[in-house]
Order: sequence, then structure tokens, then C-alpha cells
Amino acid sequence: MKYILLMNTMKANCEPLAGWSQKAFQAHCGFMIAIDKELRESGEIVAAEGLSFPDQARLVRADKDGLPITDGIFPEGKEFLAGFWIIDVETKERAYAIAARVSAAPGPDGKPLNMPIEVRQVMSGRPSSGS
Amino acid sequence: MKYILMMSGTKADVEWYATWSKEDLQAHFAFMHAFNKELRDSGVLVATEGLAFPDEAKVVRAGKNGEPITDGVFPESKEFLAGFWIINVDSPEQAYKLAAKVSSAPGRKERGNQPIEVRPIPGGPPPEML
Repeated sequence: MKYILLMNTMKANCEPLAGWSQKAFQAHCGFMIAIDKELRESGEIVAAEGLSFPDQARLVRADKDGLPITDGIFPEGKEFLAGFWIIDVETKERAYAIAARVSAAPGPDGKPLNMPIEVRQVMSGRPSSGS
Repeated sequence: MKYILMMSGTKADVEWYATWSKEDLQAHFAFMHAFNKELRDSGVLVATEGLAFPDEAKVVRAGKNGEPITDGVFPESKEFLAGFWIINVDSPEQAYKLAAKVSSAPGRKERGNQPIEVRPIPGGPPPEML
């Protein structure tokens, strides 16, 4: 079964990232790279991506002629996706165990961040439209 | 450059789909199928996924021994990712154009077009940080 692990964050949490020491940031990235390698070797990873910071985000709608209207203003309380992993595992417990590993990535003080990771199943096909 | 197009909504937005007629849903899915085919045929599609409904979502944190602590309670206002497309295009304008197209998927007129969040996907962290 495929599951997606979503790492969400508020814009305010991304900004101090630039204030992390290089050493702390290297430790954080090193931790993520090690998990990535481990999941590649176990054959459980399907895809993983890290997104650009929220200041690059735009909200796009089609106007009445189908042309894009872009907006860069988001509510303060909005959660932004920072990155995700799609994994293919036997049980949801295994998905939660991997999410817990990622959750414990080291923070600016070197201690586990224990950040919240949203876990949801990925649909393997489009929902049937009955046709 | 890779871009992600994200379609999100609150739990109430997702439940609203259940009120659509079969014809409306079929028209919506047919539009999405055609959009995916167009992206695939033009060679810009990297990946696309539709996620399970928010009632299946859990938030997981590591406990003090690294064990998973799961919670299924989210604030009413939380936006859930419903699905995404990753595309590889030459300019942000092209990404916005494709987002506008998926934004205009047929739905119910009273809600207007669906907002789509668009963000670049960088190649990775800056090399000096590794």
C-alpha cells in the first residue's frame, strides 16, 4: 500500500531556518539523506521531494477566459507543505514508524524536532466515476 | 525547472463532493483524465497522485523513545492536500498556465474556480550545506 508522509510547516517556522548554524543544518540534512538511503535500500521509497520556501508559493486561479490569476498572499495560519515522501509498505504501522523516524530529525539545538508528520494513503488509481 | 501544483481543501470542502450528482462527478473526472493525458503526451508530467480522504489522515510524532504517537484530530480550518501534479516546465508562466487549466475543472458554479498552489521544487539543499 502506498502512503504519503507530509511535512507541513507555518511560514514563520521556515524563516528562522536561515538562522540555523551550518553545523545544525548539515546534521538535519545528513539525517534526512540517511533515511532516504535506508528507504531506497529497503525498496520502500516511491518518491520524495523537498519544496521551495513558502515565499515562492503562488495561488493560481483561472479567470473567466481561462487565463491564470496569480496571488502570493496567504492567510497567516496557512500550513505550507515543506516536503513529502511516498512510501510503499505492507502496513500502516510501518508507515507510522517511518513517519516517527522523520519526525525526530535534529533541530537547531541538535535535539529531535519531533515535528508533526501527516500520513495518508495514496490512491493507486483515480476514483471510479462509474463509467 | 520542476513545479508542484497542489489542490487542497478543508474536510468540509471534501465532503461537499459527496453532494455532487453523478453527471457532475463524471464531467469532473473526465476533465482530470484529459488534463493528465495532455501533460503526459506533452512530456511535462513527472508525477501525479490523488490522496485518500482526510478522514483517513493521521498526524504522527516521535515519542521520547522514537516510537510513533498518532493523532487523528485536526483543526476544522486545516487544509488537506487532495492531490498534486509535479511538472517539468521552462518557466513559472507555463506552470501558472497549467494550474489555471486545472483550476477550471468543471464543478459547481456557485464556488467558482478552484485555487491551485504552485511552488518550484529546487534540485536539493545548497551544496555547501551538505
